Amino acid sequence: MIPSGIDPSKVTRILFQDFSPWMLAIFYVYAIGCMAAFAWGVYAQVHKYRAGRRGTRLAWGDIGRRLLDTAKTIASHRTLRRRDTTAGRLHAFIFYGFTLLFIGTATITLQEDILGPLIGLEFWHGHFYLLFKLTMTLAGTGFICGLLYMMWRRGWLKPPKLDYARPDRTPQDADFSRERYRIEDWAFLWTLLLIGITGFLLSGARMVWLQNDPAVWDTRWWAPVGASIAAGLKAVGFTSAGAGALRMGLWWLHGVLALTFIALIPYTKAKHIFTAAASWLLRNPEAIRHLPLGDLDADRIGYRELGDVASRYLVQADACTKCGRCHEACPARAAGYPLSPRDVVLTLREQANTHLGEVLPKPRAAGCAAPLIGLATGEYRPETLWSCRQCGACTEICPVGVEHVPLINMLRRTLVDEGEMDPALQRTLGAVNKTGNCFNESRRKRPNWTKDLPFKIKDARKEPVDVLWFVGDYASFDPRNQKVSRAFARILHSAGIDFGILYEGETTAGNDVRRVGEEGLFQQLAEGNISTLGDCSFNRIVTTDPHSFNTLKNEYPDLGGTYDVSHASAFLKELMADGRITPARKLDFTVTYHDPCHLGRLNKGYDAPRELLAATGVKLVEMGKSRDNSFCCGGGGGRVWVPDPPGTTKVGEIRAREAAEIHGLDALVVNCPKCMTMLEDAVKTTGNERNFRVLELTELLAEALEPEEPAVLPAHAEVG
Amino acid sequence: MKILVPVKRVASLDDEFELNDDGRDVDPDFCEFDLNEFDEYALEAAVQIKEAAPEGSVEVVVLTIGPDDADDVLRKALAKGADRAIRVDDAGLEEADRVAIARVIAKVAENEEPGLVLCGAQSADQGNAQTGMSVAALLGWARTAVVSKLDFTPGAATAQVERELEGGLVERIEVETPAVLTIQLGINTPRYASLRSIKQANAKPIECLTPHDVGLADAEIGGAGALSRVRRVFVPERGRGEIIAGTPSQQVARLLEIISEVNG
Repeated sequence: MIPSGIDPSKVTRILFQDFSPWMLAIFYVYAIGCMAAFAWGVYAQVHKYRAGRRGTRLAWGDIGRRLLDTAKTIASHRTLRRRDTTAGRLHAFIFYGFTLLFIGTATITLQEDILGPLIGLEFWHGHFYLLFKLTMTLAGTGFICGLLYMMWRRGWLKPPKLDYARPDRTPQDADFSRERYRIEDWAFLWTLLLIGITGFLLSGARMVWLQNDPAVWDTRWWAPVGASIAAGLKAVGFTSAGAGALRMGLWWLHGVLALTFIALIPYTKAKHIFTAAASWLLRNPEAIRHLPLGDLDADRIGYRELGDVASRYLVQADACTKCGRCHEACPARAAGYPLSPRDVVLTLREQANTHLGEVLPKPRAAGCAAPLIGLATGEYRPETLWSCRQCGACTEICPVGVEHVPLINMLRRTLVDEGEMDPALQRTLGAVNKTGNCFNESRRKRPNWTKDLPFKIKDARKEPVDVLWFVGDYASFDPRNQKVSRAFARILHSAGIDFGILYEGETTAGNDVRRVGEEGLFQQLAEGNISTLGDCSFNRIVTTDPHSFNTLKNEYPDLGGTYDVSHASAFLKELMADGRITPARKLDFTVTYHDPCHLGRLNKGYDAPRELLAATGVKLVEMGKSRDNSFCCGGGGGRVWVPDPPGTTKVGEIRAREAAEIHGLDALVVNCPKCMTMLEDAVKTTGNERNFRVLELTELLAEALEPEEPAVLPAHAEVG
Repeated sequence: MKILVPVKRVASLDDEFELNDDGRDVDPDFCEFDLNEFDEYALEAAVQIKEAAPEGSVEVVVLTIGPDDADDVLRKALAKGADRAIRVDDAGLEEADRVAIARVIAKVAENEEPGLVLCGAQSADQGNAQTGMSVAALLGWARTAVVSKLDFTPGAATAQVERELEGGLVERIEVETPAVLTIQLGINTPRYASLRSIKQANAKPIECLTPHDVGLADAEIGGAGALSRVRRVFVPERGRGEIIAGTPSQQVARLLEIISEVNG
């Protein structure tokens, strides 16, 4: 590798070659100044984050697993590649390029400033040096390629999610403009690109300058980019002396740029290098399915002022890279509501920077008292917070682990506490409080849907059952969904399942009451249901309602109710696997399946429903947005109770139109009573009523289970 | 200055219900109870006056008459911004009508000396719309019923109110205070009382009094103070209906038959 006659110890780069002492002094003063600026910036950010509330649920016992997960996620760029593969891969180029170059620089510092002076260890020469050069060349090339792609993407591809248009503001608003971010984005890219390019030019200029030193010149092709540049420089007539002057100029440009960049990291978007990792490490992986338990006796139940916000969310706000995935995924944004999850995050960031200081820390007491909700510049508007469906699309796709869903929920808790909400929602919550259901129906009417069944469902309050079916409001009171409930009851009955319901004793599980932000009412409902369930004897809970499923499974344990809870689709799949139900015929339909947020995204129940569909023999054509990318029906977060303002597009209509694009579609299959209500309405309002039906998975399965000729119902199995 | 807001815990019926054995009221087992909707507007009007005034200068006092179950509606009122709650126990008030109830309210008003008494225009369950006006009559104060707009500065000698009349007319009235006003729905948007604020209101004391405590004489309490008595509550028999089917000539024949039947 090293040509003969060259002393391997000479094959190295002499640092600060030909520098006068005052140059060295200037360099070290500047470098130390930059480090100090960096350290100050870190201090200012940490001061900012510490102004938030404690109480992250980060368990220390868990830290090893969390660190490993964070390292894996960063190393694989898994979350960055989702729904934006090219950008994710090219970001990996930048990331790995930057990391290797940084390690390279750190290696030099290690020898020059630490190991060399201390123990006289010198290793940066010979074969190691040559491999080092090659590695740095590869890293620098990848780094520059990645940066060029990002510039091309921003400048020419211009994906709409990167235009930063704020749906929650109008151009007349003082905080409408995102120009500052746009300037910062370009400055960031150009700075990194210039650091990369000057590095290569510097390498080439040095080779020409030292062309008479064989230890440099004869090994130059180990840095092929630098060697090519050297060839170019020679070709345009650079002499050793001329190249020496060029090298000196480039050296200072490169050094000052790189050091300045480091100094600016904590104050610019470059801070995501640290905050993104921290955010992922601190994130609650349960964020969308399990909202924080509110302390009803505390001064405040929700976020009203900046100081109320959990520190973790302040770190997350700084981790956001404005990649726009949440903006793109948000159903409310897509339907034209004044909400973008990205702007929810950026609003928090801007409030924190304004009131707690990004460069110079501000007095904490005053900063913490800055209001979060209102109509003033920089505040969350109530209509923005009420637009959210709590569907989790934003949080689920966020590559850096920002938890928009609980953040919005905590802000809503304040609105509810102040009574600031749509009158329709107020009426519904009043009805839930009074009657235990959102239909404002008498408690006595809850089991009325069972009256048309040819058998009596057991009363789980009076006799032990194997399976306790928690029916839920929509499945109990809504006439369309009552049909589904009866179909499910018939399936369980004919499969010989020992099951029962709570009759009048059930109240709404409270999932959506909680997602509205009425934490007190949620806790009251949950405590009531837990007490009712505590008096019953059963082995497991099954429900057809994904909303009830979610809160029973994930949120009731906080209040002392821990159960084995299954959604109907998973339960039916089990029955099929056990051979307790068998499709009697194949259905000749073309269907598409709408993943309910609360079953799919929140609880990863993507496969059981599809397996049941496959068993019915239907042809399943997936919509563009399915599984984790499923698009909310519009009814989540309590929006099922609030009429959409006249003239707006309904979220469900977008979904109905998406389904309508499928050629020859017979049925849009839903798997949630609220989706049924929302999408049946949307199918009508988009004029698709005659094109396809909206069917529940359970209904479809019930149809497949029935033989063509009605058979005699098998005898009901003995009570277990 | 005080504003007194008498509120009622009203019943709403299930589709199916049964009457008490004496046939004079509905069996409460078949009712859901809540704060009277009209009273929510009256309370909101009072709280808005309080919030517009310098802090601490106005006290909103809510009053209800009923058993301890009625504390629920007082808690809700406290959660919505009332400062103090009084419940006059209804033992001995079984035979009370709206005038007998008004006697209790009037006595409390005499004791509390409010600048305004704001009542709901009527109760959602019985709809007499008389209690508020009876209170005014008993006190001999100025009164205006079914107010749809209220403008009042605490301490002022008069309140400006508006009422909606037939044909889209609006009547603007100046009422001397102290006055009794009954408040119409829609005068404002009542605020939501979150469960948390209701729970916190549990910590506030409710002053519990008997009719004697407020200063009523035996002859004014319950049936003795009433001017009317409920004799019976019942569901009237429904009129008959029939869909006439068949050819046009058959339909005409059946119609003529019915007409002659009705004419006797």
